[in-house]
Amino acid sequence: MSTGSVEVVYRGIFQKTLAKNICRGIVFAAIKEGKIGIAFGRYSDSPERNGIPAKQFAVVSDTEEELQEYLSRYEPDNNDVTMVADDTLCKGVESWAWYGLQPINKLLAKDGTLLVTSTQSANKLIKTIHRKGSPYDLATIKAQASFSGLWVYKDDHTDVRLLGALAKVAPHIVSLDSVLEAIKDQWKDDKKVASAKKAHDETESTSVGAEQGSDAEPFSFDMPGYTKMEEGLVIRGIAAKGDIPGRDGGFVPGRNPTFKKYSTRTMRPVINFSTCTKCTLCWLNCPDTCFDITPDGFYEANMEACCGCGVCEAVCPVKECVTMVNEEAFEDNDSQWELWTKDKDGYSAWLAEKIANPPARSHGFHHIGQYAEEIANESS
Amino acid sequence: MPETTVESLGSFLETQVLDPWKGPKKVIPEEYYTSGHRTCQGCESAQLMRLMAKAGGPRSIILGATGCMYVANTTYYSTPWVVPWMHTQLGSTGSAATGTAAALTAMMRKGKMTKEPINVIAVCGDGGGVDMGLSAISAALQHLHYNLLILCYDNESYANTDIQVSGSSPYGANTTFTPPGKVHRIMHKRWKKNTAAMLAAGHPDVKYVGTVCTSYPVDAMNMVRKALSIGGPTFIHSLDPCPKGWDYDPKYSHELGELAVETGMWPLYEIERGKLKMLGRSQRIVNGQFKRKPVREYLMRQGRFAHFIDEDYDYVQKKTDEMWEKWLIPGVIPFFE
Repeated sequence: MSTGSVEVVYRGIFQKTLAKNICRGIVFAAIKEGKIGIAFGRYSDSPERNGIPAKQFAVVSDTEEELQEYLSRYEPDNNDVTMVADDTLCKGVESWAWYGLQPINKLLAKDGTLLVTSTQSANKLIKTIHRKGSPYDLATIKAQASFSGLWVYKDDHTDVRLLGALAKVAPHIVSLDSVLEAIKDQWKDDKKVASAKKAHDETESTSVGAEQGSDAEPFSFDMPGYTKMEEGLVIRGIAAKGDIPGRDGGFVPGRNPTFKKYSTRTMRPVINFSTCTKCTLCWLNCPDTCFDITPDGFYEANMEACCGCGVCEAVCPVKECVTMVNEEAFEDNDSQWELWTKDKDGYSAWLAEKIANPPARSHGFHHIGQYAEEIANESS
Repeated sequence: MPETTVESLGSFLETQVLDPWKGPKKVIPEEYYTSGHRTCQGCESAQLMRLMAKAGGPRSIILGATGCMYVANTTYYSTPWVVPWMHTQLGSTGSAATGTAAALTAMMRKGKMTKEPINVIAVCGDGGGVDMGLSAISAALQHLHYNLLILCYDNESYANTDIQVSGSSPYGANTTFTPPGKVHRIMHKRWKKNTAAMLAAGHPDVKYVGTVCTSYPVDAMNMVRKALSIGGPTFIHSLDPCPKGWDYDPKYSHELGELAVETGMWPLYEIERGKLKMLGRSQRIVNGQFKRKPVREYLMRQGRFAHFIDEDYDYVQKKTDEMWEKWLIPGVIPFFE
């Protein structure tokens, strides 16, 4: 007699179909074993937005009564497995229903398994994950995060590979045999079955100690009740002092102190201030108002506000002045402009290293036929 | 008989004088729509809100109908608004705008508020404006003695509720209501509603109606400034590429807006005091100085058209050619001679 639950944390819209395939797959596999299950998206993540972290769950029980009992809680909060469909989510998630940054292992049970899609080593990943305070296991499937969109799905087998790996790390929820059977039923594709089996065989877990991981304090704020909430404005405008007109003191827009959005970012812009012509286009076209105007007239992306859409790179007229780099290459949200002002040579070296061989990352649909080309390249 | 002018109606109020910004370097650094919203990466509607708030300045009241710019912008303690903002129901953009403008006029007349021009801007998506709120917008555009701007951010679907088809969705687009299937490849066969021109033609007293695209940010801001300065009810329709519903890498938001204009699928124009002027690339298309790009270049970049085959591209091309070659006023008013 038992209930098991799996939480799938993913990038909204980009991985919506992927997460749905996984959660449905878990329930179909459980049914093969005579169990009962349910797959559902977290209500408060809906409607999803591109890149904003979201969650779906699969809960599996031996009997219907146990399932009902488990579902009476607000949401599964003591999960046997937390699946992370994109490794940049390991830095924490700021999703719709959570005010502040939630550590990725927050809802994982003691001795549960964090299962991550990543090309990084386990040791490197552990450094980015917040300390849990109780031991757990970390398992990875070696893959780039699979991104597509609402209409065209990139079928690179990430869904079935995660299902196969799940059967390895949590056989008490679903066994390999039932997973393979469910995949065969659903997709009628022997290649997908083989991918799941291979991922199962290759998956290994690393133990993570209670005190291992990043000791950074996750961003949080106190939620005021209605008696303490302010009337009207939440964001203070910045009073026009002498430093705004003419821009000769720099200009930092007033920002929302309670919602930062940076956990949405999978890539971040790095800026070459030496080649910047101060043309204003990155600043003018940023939908997230993330650029601060520095005292010397440069535009610098504020890493607490940037969500990594890449529009600044697209509109920049200077070659390699703004370059989007995989978020996994960074450990903090520090100001690039400050680093550049302090040590120009050091900054140039840092910049060259970051943009030389950034880990590859897909970011959605570009043209018809692109996913087939990418899958062909990845498998060759 | 004395001529009926807005001034003769009695409650006319001065507008703010907002001069155009000549180039991106003249744009003010102050932000009235800042970071802290939960829109998608690369959301051009958020970009439009930001530009509109910048253009309107600090003495503005923003009213927002239900839609992405309500839900993603204003849940508990996640908001980017620095200026006052109020929610209104899906179909009541026009009513909220008229009511707010009327209230301001009355309060100032009664001396309960300092007399000063305050911008009233009501924003709605294509669901709220092009579909549900059309009648209320029409009513607002007939209240010539109130100063208000209705700004429609058109992402060509009900994007907030996960992409249902709207009157503004383009031919053939995949939405949750029009999924392509094995029997019927094209489920959405209506041509996009010609909203701005319809409102301009139907409300000849309105002093300013225009279409914008956020890929041309300075032009878009200057049109908002012109609409707010000119007085009376005004309407601006903006095409906003939507990475979620159109299905593309958010990085290309800017490029897709340009492609929509360059292929001729989104004409840019303004109708100021009854005088039509084509703008930017659209003007060059009409003058023959710019050859329209094939619509295929625009359509094949979006997952919502991934089911298209040659005949669908050809059909959209043919209809777009008609807009520019056969319409009574190219890109603006249909009717064939």
